[in-house]
Amino acid sequence: MEGGYDTVVVATEPAPRRAGAPALLELRGIVKRWPKAPAPVLDAVDFLVRRGEVVAISGRNGAGKTTLLRVAAGLLAADAGTVRIAGLDPERHRAACQARIGYLAAGNSGLYGRLRVEQHLQFWARLALMPRWRRDEAIAAACETFALDELRGSRVDRLSMGQRQRVRLALALLHGPDLALLDEPRTSLDDEGTEILRRAVRRLTVRGGSVVVCAPTAEDAGIPFDRCELIAGGTMVGA
Amino acid sequence: MSALILHAQAAAAVFRRDLAIFTSYRMRLVTTVVATLVTLTIFYYVSRLVRSEAIGSPDAYYAFAVIGILSLSVLSAALSRPVATLRSEQLAGTFERMVVSPFGAVRCVISLLLFPLALAFVTATVSLFFAVVLFGLRLRWPEALAGIPVALLGALAFAPLGLLMTAAVIVFKQTNAGATFVLTACTLLAGVYFPVSLLPAGVRWASEVQPLTPSVDLLRNILVGTPLDDAVPVALLKLVLFPAVMFPVAICALRAAVRHGRRRGTITEY
Repeated sequence: MEGGYDTVVVATEPAPRRAGAPALLELRGIVKRWPKAPAPVLDAVDFLVRRGEVVAISGRNGAGKTTLLRVAAGLLAADAGTVRIAGLDPERHRAACQARIGYLAAGNSGLYGRLRVEQHLQFWARLALMPRWRRDEAIAAACETFALDELRGSRVDRLSMGQRQRVRLALALLHGPDLALLDEPRTSLDDEGTEILRRAVRRLTVRGGSVVVCAPTAEDAGIPFDRCELIAGGTMVGA
Repeated sequence: MSALILHAQAAAAVFRRDLAIFTSYRMRLVTTVVATLVTLTIFYYVSRLVRSEAIGSPDAYYAFAVIGILSLSVLSAALSRPVATLRSEQLAGTFERMVVSPFGAVRCVISLLLFPLALAFVTATVSLFFAVVLFGLRLRWPEALAGIPVALLGALAFAPLGLLMTAAVIVFKQTNAGATFVLTACTLLAGVYFPVSLLPAGVRWASEVQPLTPSVDLLRNILVGTPLDDAVPVALLKLVLFPAVMFPVAICALRAAVRHGRRRGTITEY
């Protein structure tokens, strides 16, 4: 199956990190230009994330952080350049790449106010094309990781903003992606929520996954990272 | 588990999600059914005024109009509801999530047709039952079961139009005017309220190039015995040909719309 849920990875020890580890996300020469905009929002950006790495991308508002994340997530197509997810071309292996990616958009969108938390989890697990045995297990794990057990029966429009953010994080990581692309994940989270986020990131990296987190400043990332890239004027300007 | 089953489960999840949201508004089913019943009631009294050689008795006109109205409600469900749902998805930011899901944007959008069509079927069946009980509509009961596959075929024929409208929503966002125009044009050309034979000869050809005409004609013939202009196999062939030709076109349009949105960056806009 292309989706890639045939095996369960049980992590026992931290995966190899940094130099030498294989690339999980590889962006080469990415150009993205908005129609009628004078300059490209991304201008020949190279960006590489290795297995086990947590990378923060910081930059001013409008610098291109979210656009970069959206290109990596497959939400936007680059005008030029190549994207590889675990070596795969997302344009040719869309479902396989999407199964490897967990994407959290910025803000507090992406939820159905009238549905309960449990219904969200069931819905998105099915849209992730997870087999039943994997689904039940993943939902239980997500509820445990993001402290959602008590909220499973609650309608989303009755949750606080912080609780909704935990639901959004749970949905982004529900299918056990290798690569988490998190756009300002700390939005609305209190200290406990931030700790939950850190724990989830740790679990992901321990099993060899990688995380890219976008935030205006490195401090806003809310999670410990291995390196921080600064983006300005559509290009990476260093750490 | 085969990929086909997982895809079917994902499509079913979209159906269940739409059902859950629909039923979370308690009065929605009631108002949907009541609105149709009121329309049937209005047309009952209008039919009392009809004395036409083209149709026959007031009862014959009522039967003619009821089948037309209920068929139109299914077409309307295929055209309007998926568009409205997709707009809600865009505004709520859930469409973004669909685009990045392994099930994918195109399959998600196709699945958006399932619940509105099922609901329209249920509402039409309930309404037909009421027309029989309250207003004495004479159904041909022995043939009535044959109406089910024809109605399903009709819904299948309407689906590509709904998909084309959703493709337009992805590109242009607001397409209410387009859906209303298509519905109004189909209503006029398919003879929902009057026989197509009354149309000027110069525009009558247009009633043959959209799916509502053969669908409503066949259903009238099967359910209430209105004579068909074409032979049954010809009307059936028209009903089969439309989705056979238009489904691939609609899916290509939908794919192109998603590609366009990803390239232009408008897929995340609303």
